[in-house]
Amino acid sequence: MSALSLPTSALQPQHSVAPRIGARAVCEALVREGVTTIFGYPGGTVLPIYDVLREFPLRHILVRHEQGGAHAADGFSRATGGVGVAIATSGPGAINLVTGLATAMMDSVPMVAITGNVPRALLGKDAFQETDIVGIALPVTKYATVVMDPDEVPCAVAEAFEIARSGRPGPVLLDFPKDVLQLETSVPYPEPYQLRLPGLLRPVRGDVPQADELAEMIAAAERPLILAGHGVQIAHATDLLREVADRSEIPVAHTLLGIGNMDETHRLSAGYAGMHGWMHVNKMIQQCDLLIGIGCRYDDRITGKTSTFAPNARIVHVDVDRSEIGKNVRTDLGIVADAGDLLAALLRRLPQSEPRTEWMDQLAAWREVSEARSWHGSGAWREGRLSADYVVDQIGEATDHQATLVSDVGQNQMWAARYFGFRHPYRHLSSGGLGTMGYSVPAAMGAALGAPERETWAIVGDGGFQMTMQELATLVQDQIPVRIAVLNNHRLGMIRQWQEIIYDENYHSAELLGPDLLRLCEAYGIPAWRATRPDEVAGVIAEARKAPGAALIDFHLDEAQNVYPMMLPGKGLSDMVTGGSE
Amino acid sequence: MTAPRQTLPAGEADAVHRRHVVSALVVDRPGTLNRVSGLLRARSFNIESLTVGSTHEPGRSRMTIAIRGDDGHLRQVLAQLERLIEVLEVTDLTNVERIELELALVELDPPRTPAEGRLLERILAAAGGETLSTDPERWRARLTATPDVINHALDALRGHGLRSLVRAGAVAMAANPTTQSTENGATET
Repeated sequence: MSALSLPTSALQPQHSVAPRIGARAVCEALVREGVTTIFGYPGGTVLPIYDVLREFPLRHILVRHEQGGAHAADGFSRATGGVGVAIATSGPGAINLVTGLATAMMDSVPMVAITGNVPRALLGKDAFQETDIVGIALPVTKYATVVMDPDEVPCAVAEAFEIARSGRPGPVLLDFPKDVLQLETSVPYPEPYQLRLPGLLRPVRGDVPQADELAEMIAAAERPLILAGHGVQIAHATDLLREVADRSEIPVAHTLLGIGNMDETHRLSAGYAGMHGWMHVNKMIQQCDLLIGIGCRYDDRITGKTSTFAPNARIVHVDVDRSEIGKNVRTDLGIVADAGDLLAALLRRLPQSEPRTEWMDQLAAWREVSEARSWHGSGAWREGRLSADYVVDQIGEATDHQATLVSDVGQNQMWAARYFGFRHPYRHLSSGGLGTMGYSVPAAMGAALGAPERETWAIVGDGGFQMTMQELATLVQDQIPVRIAVLNNHRLGMIRQWQEIIYDENYHSAELLGPDLLRLCEAYGIPAWRATRPDEVAGVIAEARKAPGAALIDFHLDEAQNVYPMMLPGKGLSDMVTGGSE
Repeated sequence: MTAPRQTLPAGEADAVHRRHVVSALVVDRPGTLNRVSGLLRARSFNIESLTVGSTHEPGRSRMTIAIRGDDGHLRQVLAQLERLIEVLEVTDLTNVERIELELALVELDPPRTPAEGRLLERILAAAGGETLSTDPERWRARLTATPDVINHALDALRGHGLRSLVRAGAVAMAANPTTQSTENGATET
């Protein structure tokens, strides 16, 4: 039946159902997949879906730009562990999804994007609003295909969800020519056993025999360190991670997307590593004798120069995606496995370890220096200047560190990662791999709808905010309670920082004119506040939290605050720039 | 159906740059070739040849890809290749005993002397070939051999009026049918 499910005849569901048009089959399949909320923007070729949408228990959020729809679906996925859905029309609508698809792809976020296309007879004829979206989407999706037959619709949607969430998750795009949505099919929605996806990599589940070797390496190590990434949360294995850490007395560092793997106040939580990570964590990576990467990519923002990365360590890499192992760093032991399976296998093998006193004392000593240091601007609030670390810290305190926090990209992202104080998984959302400015507000929109029981904050710079601020209208229309903290330094802050440090203070295009955010919010009907001094911060956060719906705070920051420490391009974790102040 | 758990050490030893012959079993549908070639392009590989054809199973195609690259780099790319939903199996035949053949069609100046004609026939025969037509205006011939042997034959033919050349690209299969190739798992060599 579906083109991927071969041989086709074997897959044809045995019974048929009352005929319904393709558009209804799409909606029916979404409901069967447990979808409750979809983010979309109508257009000529997807109108058949909008024509029947009312018949189904699907809440449609009308976004203001398809990129916002894709990020919202991504935020929904990350906050819930489910599969977010975005809909767009053909041509420009579909193309506007691409940034969101690539963002989800880089961060292994499951998502299904549905696009309309021109009727089959017009495909390839440069019809109005026609584009080869499947061709465009191929490199930025886990899978993309055009559904050319109404009878394929039910299976295609079911397969899209299966592909999106299985193994290493990712976005899937389904393109429907308009007439496929308008014609009838009596093919039912398939049962799971009817799906045949022979090319889909599914991890071997169960015990991981190679854990024997890893357990031996752990037993032989004096200074082991776990580097835990996004894969741990994708595998829903954060409890297992903590148990393994407790059992083996191994401290745990985390990547940007690994934030939330462990409560940061846990005695074995070392902190956030990498380019702008904590100095003590990076020192541990460079000094450890066994580095166990679990569900991470060892990407360049973690490793810096790979030839000087973890020079004293045997490096272990555990990932569900075989192609990641050995891709970036030399690997002494590679294990292809689900992070949860590996951690459970370790737990079965590891004896209770004695505390690693010497190693942990070393960590404590480094941490004391690292955390006490006033990082060139961080801590400026003590002198009455508003610095970002203080703002982020105060949002963390006010929400008791329970909020979902969606950061954007750049300095704000690093400040959020360093200073919020995360306690739980699935609360820190950020475009880690692609680094998509403009991600935070629409993604927070999706996160707030996906996890309404939690308060949702977007932390965004004035640059990223201006990229997707059209979604303010969506927040109002659909009464989505996102609190937006704009860390406004009237600059493209990270650009300014690079130009200061690397380009001899040649500040080109770093100054950024923006609107008066209070008047902008007034126009949208969103309550907004401004803080320019540290003593105003707690008050405006409290006010914004009282707002029933969306709210915004414009934090006017010290314009020259940089994010330190910083690993310069081409350098390694041992060569961090500290901003010159102790 | 399952990805084998394997240790994949990467290191300096992988920095051997050479020609690889890769066999991939794929789903026969629009877009598969695009996916495979797009992935190789994104990693800046220049494909020496890529052939696609049907297999004994309906709906399945077999690709043979000849490509130059470092062992380690290529192994990683093959692992990425096997991630593709349309790709069912990837086997690197580089280090295994294999049958590898290529078809080439050539057009030649007619020989000026009977001796040259006999020489041409010998060159063609050495590359598993034969003349297809020998009219007075032009000779046409085919060669069927390994790409290397074809290259040698072509070098020889260039001195004897090689006018035109069409090559099909290499096709290959493991000589030993027990060569391990796990479905969805690139063979370790």
